[in-house]
Amino acid sequence: MTVKAFSAEWAKAFKDEVNKSTVYKTAGKGWKWTVGLVVEAEPDKHFAEARGIVMDLFEGEARDVNVGSAADAQKCDFVITAPYSRWKQVATKELDATKGMLQGKLKLKGDLPTIVRYTKASQEMTECTTRIAVEWPDEK
Amino acid sequence: MHDTDRGRMARRKVKAEITGGGGKGLVDYADKEPSAFSSMLGGLIEANVESRPEKQPDFSSLVARVGIWVTDIDEGVTLDFKGGKLTVHNGLKPRRTITIRADAETVMSLSNLKIGRLGLPVYYDEVGRGVAGKLLRGKLKIDGLLPNIMTLNSVTRIFSVQ
Repeated sequence: MTVKAFSAEWAKAFKDEVNKSTVYKTAGKGWKWTVGLVVEAEPDKHFAEARGIVMDLFEGEARDVNVGSAADAQKCDFVITAPYSRWKQVATKELDATKGMLQGKLKLKGDLPTIVRYTKASQEMTECTTRIAVEWPDEK
Repeated sequence: MHDTDRGRMARRKVKAEITGGGGKGLVDYADKEPSAFSSMLGGLIEANVESRPEKQPDFSSLVARVGIWVTDIDEGVTLDFKGGKLTVHNGLKPRRTITIRADAETVMSLSNLKIGRLGLPVYYDEVGRGVAGKLLRGKLKIDGLLPNIMTLNSVTRIFSVQ
């Protein structure tokens, strides 16, 4: 089933993918913090308003993934911010999230030693996004 | 930190932003606009040293210029350790003691090396074997390694988040 990019349906599909992943279950053990993804608006790509994805991740499980405002996501313990088209690149495997962060294409806020300790978990979460069939607004 | 009770969530203050620092001034940046990679490494080391007292002796005593070049993004930094202070330069600067060249994933793995009982990096667990394998296959290159093994061990201890 195809879902609209960064919609409530996408959030549910993402949560299901994370919870299906045995790799994430192991790599995310010990993780106890919330993660917010801020998807910045790009009106020329038909993504008119910024959105925030709020992820309640706990001990290798996605307890909840919700779509809200960018401000909601910014309240999380860890916040990763990028424009819509960068997130699309990540979700379509055009951009590796680790490289993106080192290059400043994805902006990270949060305790660095903690996020570095969970590099494998974050890589697997990125993999989870690539397994979702997405309808991209700029491809309509 | 989250409450262990399912469905309830509590907030935990996090210490550093990628572009920021903890405030003790252990790390400064040579460039007016530090690259994202410079900010990330500087921020990581600063947060590590401030939050983990066992890293302080290495940080206080290390005097070395360490270059790190990330081969798959064509970006690098020079970490100039000056006995209790670190200056981070964008790019590779001259007179480096050692230079590490590897892809982004391997550079992150270096931060995930565990430190064993004698203060030596652990190369027999999954992460360690991965790093050692890359070194043997030439995917991780360390210029100046042989005469500076102690320096590399100090840097690894400062760098390690484990």
